[in-house]
Amino acid sequence: MAELISLLQNLSNGLLIGGVYAMIGVGLTLIFGVMRTINFAHGDFVVLGMYTAFLFNMQLGWDPYFSLPVAMAAGFLLGLLIERVVLAPIVDKPHETSLLATLGISLIIGNTLLLTFGGESKSVHVSYASLTVPLGAVRISVILLLAGLVTIIVIGALYFLLHRTEFGRSIRATAENRLGAELVGINTRRVQGVVFGLGTALAMTAGVALIPLLFATPTQTGAILTLKAFVVIVLGGLGRIGAAVAGGLLLGMVEVLGAAYVSSAYRDAYGLLVFLVILLFKPEGLFGRTVKRV
Amino acid sequence: MIGNLFGLLLLLGAGLAYPWLLPGALTVGITILLFAGWATAWDILGGWAGQVSLGHASFVGIGAYFVAIGAMDYDLAPWWSVLLAVAAAMLLALFWGGLTFRLHGPYFTLSTIAIAEILRLIAINENWLTGGATGVFIATLPMPFGIDLFDRLTQFYLALAFALGVIGCVVALSRSRFGYQLRAVREDENSAMAAGIDPTRVKLKAFMLSSGLTAIGGGIYGMMLSFLEPHILFFLLLSVQIALTAIIGGRGTVWGPLVGAVLLVGAGEVFRTTFAEANLLIYGVLILLVILFLPSGIVGEVNRRLIRRRYARSAQG
Amino acid sequence: MPEALKAEDITVRFGGVLAVDRVSLALKPSEILGLIGPNGAGKTTLFNAITGFVPIENGRVTFFGEEVTGEPPYRRAQRGMGRTFQTERPFEELTVLENVLVPAFLKKPRRREAESLAMAMLERVGLADRAHQPALDLNLARRRRLELAKALAIQPRALFLDEVMAGLNPPALREMIGLVRSLSAEGLAILMVEHIMEAIIELSDHVIVLANGRKIAEGKPHDVISDPLVIEAYLGTD
Repeated sequence: MAELISLLQNLSNGLLIGGVYAMIGVGLTLIFGVMRTINFAHGDFVVLGMYTAFLFNMQLGWDPYFSLPVAMAAGFLLGLLIERVVLAPIVDKPHETSLLATLGISLIIGNTLLLTFGGESKSVHVSYASLTVPLGAVRISVILLLAGLVTIIVIGALYFLLHRTEFGRSIRATAENRLGAELVGINTRRVQGVVFGLGTALAMTAGVALIPLLFATPTQTGAILTLKAFVVIVLGGLGRIGAAVAGGLLLGMVEVLGAAYVSSAYRDAYGLLVFLVILLFKPEGLFGRTVKRV
Repeated sequence: MIGNLFGLLLLLGAGLAYPWLLPGALTVGITILLFAGWATAWDILGGWAGQVSLGHASFVGIGAYFVAIGAMDYDLAPWWSVLLAVAAAMLLALFWGGLTFRLHGPYFTLSTIAIAEILRLIAINENWLTGGATGVFIATLPMPFGIDLFDRLTQFYLALAFALGVIGCVVALSRSRFGYQLRAVREDENSAMAAGIDPTRVKLKAFMLSSGLTAIGGGIYGMMLSFLEPHILFFLLLSVQIALTAIIGGRGTVWGPLVGAVLLVGAGEVFRTTFAEANLLIYGVLILLVILFLPSGIVGEVNRRLIRRRYARSAQG
Repeated sequence: MPEALKAEDITVRFGGVLAVDRVSLALKPSEILGLIGPNGAGKTTLFNAITGFVPIENGRVTFFGEEVTGEPPYRRAQRGMGRTFQTERPFEELTVLENVLVPAFLKKPRRREAESLAMAMLERVGLADRAHQPALDLNLARRRRLELAKALAIQPRALFLDEVMAGLNPPALREMIGLVRSLSAEGLAILMVEHIMEAIIELSDHVIVLANGRKIAEGKPHDVISDPLVIEAYLGTD
């Protein structure tokens, strides 16, 4: 009986963590789906969100969720700017060029944070950090619950934007076929800018939600999270939001279960192994359509 | 060709003169030479064959660890360890490439990151293999012909030989059948196949050559550090540095990676006082500048202008 | 004397679409075989299937008596199947000479011999004076000739030309026709996919017509051109 409870506990933890991974992944898959860009800096935007929350907490004593609107807005504007200056000029070059460009941005963000905040890992301690809510015999951490809630709200809003608004339709059209979208009069340049901004805003949101849970180091956490985000979207299928959510949840569970039942030292490796296997044998992801292959 | 040979002589001369001119900056010199060698080796796969790897730190780590463990646990002289490391690196490349070369461009790159990360985790966790997270300390090394391998000057000459060796390889490559096969596969696989070239075979050869050479540099690096920790050696950031050094300097050129190494490691030193560990900022800024304004890298762009000008002149004359 | 190329019952399917439906053809040594048909007839698909760039669902391909079905394109090239590409694909970063050097290395692994072979092929197609020019600077007609030189540099036993005449102005067209004719006169078996009727009529010993993935006519150029089935296929059923 105790084993069952522990299993349920692990599953629920995995799901909730997976929810946050999903939010990170959704931003990345949105960017990839519309711009075919592999955003190497995605994890660093998450870290940027973390540091934003940290900053407001340190200077003004704010709870991370108060700084959420600031983080989202700042993330959106920053993304818009970067898209305009760096990505738009190289939109017709081969894919690896944008990978290198975002790699450069990742280095700049990470190292600027390092210069500003120093190298020690930072976190935010909130008063409700160790609070848990009981669900039957299982205890659910309040922080994870809040993160999960934010994820649901944000993804719901995104879904609404994409499927119920005019602009959302332009986004989907551009994702489907950029040239075709331009031919029917959609301003794809604007779409791409907004989408990148949305993606980075989502990343920063995830950062805010994560900071009470994790410690952030300016240059390393970014890469780790970017890698996790890639695992999420490859698992689900590049470019599809619902699938990214599924991918995130799956990753969360694989990690927690792997750490609990196989070996906790290799926690990060399970996701990577699954990632490789999928990349090699089913690159369209578990749910996706075909993707580029030799 | 003559130009390249001349360049090699120049490098040799500069390398021999360096310890006299800047005796206090030997470690920087070694770092520049190691990065030059690594970036040039990386470029065989990344520039000539066109497959961008962000996992080359794995081979550096293999080289360093084989030397360390060989010396500490098995009393092996470094050159034997390096030989074994090269073999191990090439085997890894064969296996790794065989699995992942069917993936296009960015997906291949992603897979290199994943594999390198897995290797890093193994290095950190498997104590019996690598001494785990605490690392390995190379306390003693043999002294061939009475040469002290811990001596910075000796290490400098080793690094110089390494850099010269790798660049020399690439010079030979540029005129050889293999070199042309690589470039053809990079430019257009279909056209290459129509010319009778097996792209996967060619890429695998490139990967194995690249990894083996990188491992040699790793061995020298290991001796220089003498205390090895897995998170420095197998780290993504090192892979990124190597790749960007080659790309900023100029992919697919003979001298690009060397130029990149001098520029980046040199600039890193200069900025170390202001930026401390954040000198990777320079890499970030430079790669963006290169992508936007100098897509073929510094040496690549110089080459382009030269070729155009030379042809224009001869066409008129 | 075996046929240079024999394709039997070739069937190619893309997704649900049958692009080539049980087509057979035979190319004799020293012969020029023309392959024509309206757009979308499956000519290029058949061509790519024969040269190994597209997988076939059913059928056999034999080259000079040896079975090559299922072999990758580079194996076929090593056996002597030389081909050009419809959208010319020079190796842009290389010079004209270096472009031909790449395939020349197949039969001549040593640099010096490969270089003389490459130069010889450039002379054959009339590009020797531009040997050191960057390949991407060539105009259309010269790119076509470069493609031809690249195919010739593997010292092929049969040549497969994919619409080499398209888009050429009249003088360039005459030149290309003359070039192909002289290659055939040297004994090379040639299969050409073409839209330009002038070239087909002048050059082909034998013509095969495809429409909707099937062979609808075959025979001497003049007979095929005046075949009502063929005319209908090109003009549509109006």
